[in-house]
Amino acid sequence: MIERYNIVNNRYLLKDLGVLKHHLAKYYSVVQIQKDADGEKLWTEQFGDKIEPLFGHNHLPLTSPKGFLFAEKEVLYKFDGETFKTILPQVQPKVMFGVQACDLSAIAYQDKFFEHDPYYQKRRENILLVGIDCESPCVTGFCVQVDAGPHVKDNTADLVLSRLNVDDANGSSEWLVIAATEKGINSIKGMTLDKADNKHLKLRTKLLEKVRSEFVDYSYISNAIEYLNNNSVPAQLWEELSVRCLGCSGCTNLCPTCSCYTTYDVVEQQPEKPVSISREVKLEVTKSETIRCWDSCLFEGFQKEASGHNPSQKAAQRVERFWFHKFSDEYLPEFQRYGCVGCGRCEQTCPGTIGVHSVMKRIDQQCCS
Amino acid sequence: MSQTQVNSICPFCGVGCGIALVASDNNITAVQPLSKHPISQGKLCAKGWNTPFGINHHDRLTQPLMKVDGEFRVVSWKHALSHIAENLKQFICESGPQSVGLISSARATNEDNYAAQKFARAVLKTNNIDHCARICHSPTVAGLKKTLGSGAMTNSIDDVGKADVILVIGADPTENHAIIGGKIMKAKLRGAKLIVVDPRQTRLAKVADLHLQLNIGTNIALLNGLLNIIFAHGWQNDEFIARRCEGADALKAHVADYTVEKVSVITGVDGADLVKAAKLYSQANAAFLAYGMGITQFVSGTNNVIAVSNLALICGQIGREGTGINPLRGQNNVQGACDMGCLPNVYPDYQSANDEQVRSKFSRAWQTEVARLPGLTSLGMSHQARHGNFRGLLIFGEDPVVTDPDRNKVAQGLRAMDLLVVIELSMTETAKMADIVLPAASFAEKRGTFTNCERRVQLIHKAVSPPGEAKIDWQILSELAKEMGFPELMNWQTSEQVFDEMCKLTDSFSGMSYPRLKQNNGLQWPCNNEYPDGSRCLHSTTFPIGKGKLIPVYHVLTDEVPDAEYPYWFTTMRLHFHYGCGSMTRQSPLLERETPIGLLFIHPQDALDLGLKNHQGVTVSSRRGCVETRIEFSNQVSPGLLSMPYHFKEAPSNFLTNDAMDPITEMPELKVCAVNIIPLPENQPPRSSVLSDAGSRVSQ
Ligand code: SF4
Ligand code: SF4
Ligand code: SF4
Repeated sequence: MIERYNIVNNRYLLKDLGVLKHHLAKYYSVVQIQKDADGEKLWTEQFGDKIEPLFGHNHLPLTSPKGFLFAEKEVLYKFDGETFKTILPQVQPKVMFGVQACDLSAIAYQDKFFEHDPYYQKRRENILLVGIDCESPCVTGFCVQVDAGPHVKDNTADLVLSRLNVDDANGSSEWLVIAATEKGINSIKGMTLDKADNKHLKLRTKLLEKVRSEFVDYSYISNAIEYLNNNSVPAQLWEELSVRCLGCSGCTNLCPTCSCYTTYDVVEQQPEKPVSISREVKLEVTKSETIRCWDSCLFEGFQKEASGHNPSQKAAQRVERFWFHKFSDEYLPEFQRYGCVGCGRCEQTCPGTIGVHSVMKRIDQQCCS
Repeated sequence: MSQTQVNSICPFCGVGCGIALVASDNNITAVQPLSKHPISQGKLCAKGWNTPFGINHHDRLTQPLMKVDGEFRVVSWKHALSHIAENLKQFICESGPQSVGLISSARATNEDNYAAQKFARAVLKTNNIDHCARICHSPTVAGLKKTLGSGAMTNSIDDVGKADVILVIGADPTENHAIIGGKIMKAKLRGAKLIVVDPRQTRLAKVADLHLQLNIGTNIALLNGLLNIIFAHGWQNDEFIARRCEGADALKAHVADYTVEKVSVITGVDGADLVKAAKLYSQANAAFLAYGMGITQFVSGTNNVIAVSNLALICGQIGREGTGINPLRGQNNVQGACDMGCLPNVYPDYQSANDEQVRSKFSRAWQTEVARLPGLTSLGMSHQARHGNFRGLLIFGEDPVVTDPDRNKVAQGLRAMDLLVVIELSMTETAKMADIVLPAASFAEKRGTFTNCERRVQLIHKAVSPPGEAKIDWQILSELAKEMGFPELMNWQTSEQVFDEMCKLTDSFSGMSYPRLKQNNGLQWPCNNEYPDGSRCLHSTTFPIGKGKLIPVYHVLTDEVPDAEYPYWFTTMRLHFHYGCGSMTRQSPLLERETPIGLLFIHPQDALDLGLKNHQGVTVSSRRGCVETRIEFSNQVSPGLLSMPYHFKEAPSNFLTNDAMDPITEMPELKVCAVNIIPLPENQPPRSSVLSDAGSRVSQ
């Protein structure tokens, strides 16, 4: 993993990001955030350059770019009746152009989790990450509390873009481009770029302080993290919160660091019962595919064993475990950071209103005062 | 292998949440929630999240099939359609247009449904056109038509957030309409008072301020009791009654019989709680009333709806933001199927099929004769078939053998027909009984519109191509019309043309078009000259019938009550993770895994009395049939009441349910009957019940 970030630190200046994008588009297919007619922001593969990339701030899409690395659904093997064949994904080199700091921290986290997973690694190797510093807080984000932003963290991107100033008169900007890895340097070979100097780096740090100061007071999150690690939250509170968990799986699907999956077999010539995960069904295998898909630890069936035994039968246990995974110090040695990168997506998607802000506020109010 | 995203609408319930379908290689690989969607605002329930599994499954039908000597053979579209057309023409010629009909689908688009009723009325010349609303919400349409003049949800979903009291009767929205359920829980967090009326302790009941856990089937007694309390305390809205209602005096006199003591005995609800509920609801600034199939699926379904309407009218909780009478409808486009006239008695926009002016309007527009005689409901068609009077039926995307009450009779009816054509995504139980099966396109494979429960018409877009030779319903009908000798009548090239034709022939949709729907993120009908941007809230100044009608209704017993032979109450329910007959949701390994081991929910006390262990196998029987399944301990049901989800063909609750009908709408009493349970020996697994092709019950 570490080799990927064979740290270099070349800095350049750039007036027009379009120049960089066009250069990269020669070698990579470009994936970037776009806004549709309703104002919805989505990570999409860009064809041509009809739509300008969204840069700067407050454009965190509800759906993280996780699916480009860890696919929602993919075939792992095929069984032709006699032998199993591993199906690695067919991938083209892609550049993810303009990833925000929280999502980059999450990708770094997933890199560790999936270190030995050939499917993830095949995709990951073919991706160039171009990060972008946020210029103002997004709606529900609290990256500052969990050390994941608002500026791109070291060792999380190949190239980092930071806007140093905007010339309102002609709408042009000056960008600092940091090539942070070997891969990053290679990607901009052949471009003529001016070198940046220390004064530009200092300006970036100054801007970072400014953005940090614009975040509203999220101290309830820091308080609750501390409480979670040093005390036990009353069971009653988990009960009250978990009644509101509808088991939709939205939080885990949108959370950029969630990585649970399950596998199931699809058997051909058994049109009646294609899904063999169900109990009490024995299938005679002829040809089959083993598919992996995202799973959610909030589903009751997640840990249910064939016997019906379930170590996390109660919703309260599942909700508690989810937050333990996000904020426990226990995972620091392995991942060097919390499992939460502060994107706030779980708050936006939870139909039961028990996303991160709601939960941490409750813990803070009930336990920390 | 690049990836595309196409906006669509979740196909799993009447809430109509926004989704982006992510496709690569003509496969839906994922869905994404849409934060800008006016209803879902970035949220989805488990069903919505699992949409990709329902579409890509590996058992899709891809070619027309025709049964020859009891086995399906692949045939060409040309062959299949001309065979169907020849037969239909022959039946009409020999037995008249009353002998043929269509059952359309509450899952199909408005365009498909419009085409279906047009095909029935203008090609077959019959009003024999129906869809599944009969088993969900026809009492809503009938009841509210009488009291208000219109059977749809009066307010909008986000009015939940504007109410200070929310009353939920016979509905389980956190499980069945999860995004609305979530909004209700959120309103409660914000400080709104929540009252739940339900025989089961639903999730909402657990968080409610007040749960009136009434005996099953005693809704009218409870509602009349509340009215009596309200009148006795002078809590009624006199100003509203004087201005907007008629029949208040008669109603007041009628409900005087329903004293707190008496109602408390009938319903089993504490008198003090009744008074609290009456006060909260009547005295609220804005009270939002939602109800579901726990109101409609009774022999007294229509009267239940009327009783609900009486309560809202007397308290003036209608016609303003945050109020209203709000039926929560099951299938994603059941509103649209009704709106489009897939009912025997109405044309699109509820224009009466019995009205000569309406008939000649459509006859002129379509330039052909239209049906003259009154039409049959789906149960009526099945009934007539059993008596040899009904010969040819086309069923679109419905599985009545699994979902209709008393499936044995349904199967008999279908078998008695000379020609059964089923247009489906996959080989369902009903399709297996067909003479011809035609492969249909799923919602992800076509353009069109769905109408959600708040009357919002929303566009869906094509994300992938249909598999093999599968076609869109309206295209199939258009081609069949040509085979029947009507080359021009339904000769549309795009779904937009179908929609535009419909808008021209209706008032409520006259201000709509695809571009306008896109611009506005959907439009709520009526959308016409008067309300060019649609209508968030109905009846703000007047009701379609002028003054709202207050109609006295009596508490009646359910058709069956427990007795010595069948000592338990039995009710049906839905599980959050499944939808309808399960044909789409059960394709998801994640949702399938959520299915409990036992499908018969029983209070632990009852199980103890019977000496039953959790998950033990039992035989459940009613006067109509029996089913073997396992029990699941649950505190959601009270002692004496058993409950079973209806999604699972291995434990078909409709072997047991009663088909005694609401006399007004023929709505069967699916919500309640009497049953007995007998334990199976402790280690004997239950046999799953399936319907054989011969229609008799066999065990596997
Ligand atoms: S837990 Fe919530 S806020 Fe934290 S990273 Fe996951 S989705 Fe984002
Ligand atoms: S988003 Fe909320 S309701 Fe859905 S699984 Fe997560 S905690 Fe439960
Ligand atoms: S609430 Fe209904 S429309 Fe929304 S995601 Fe769930 S099933 Fe789909």
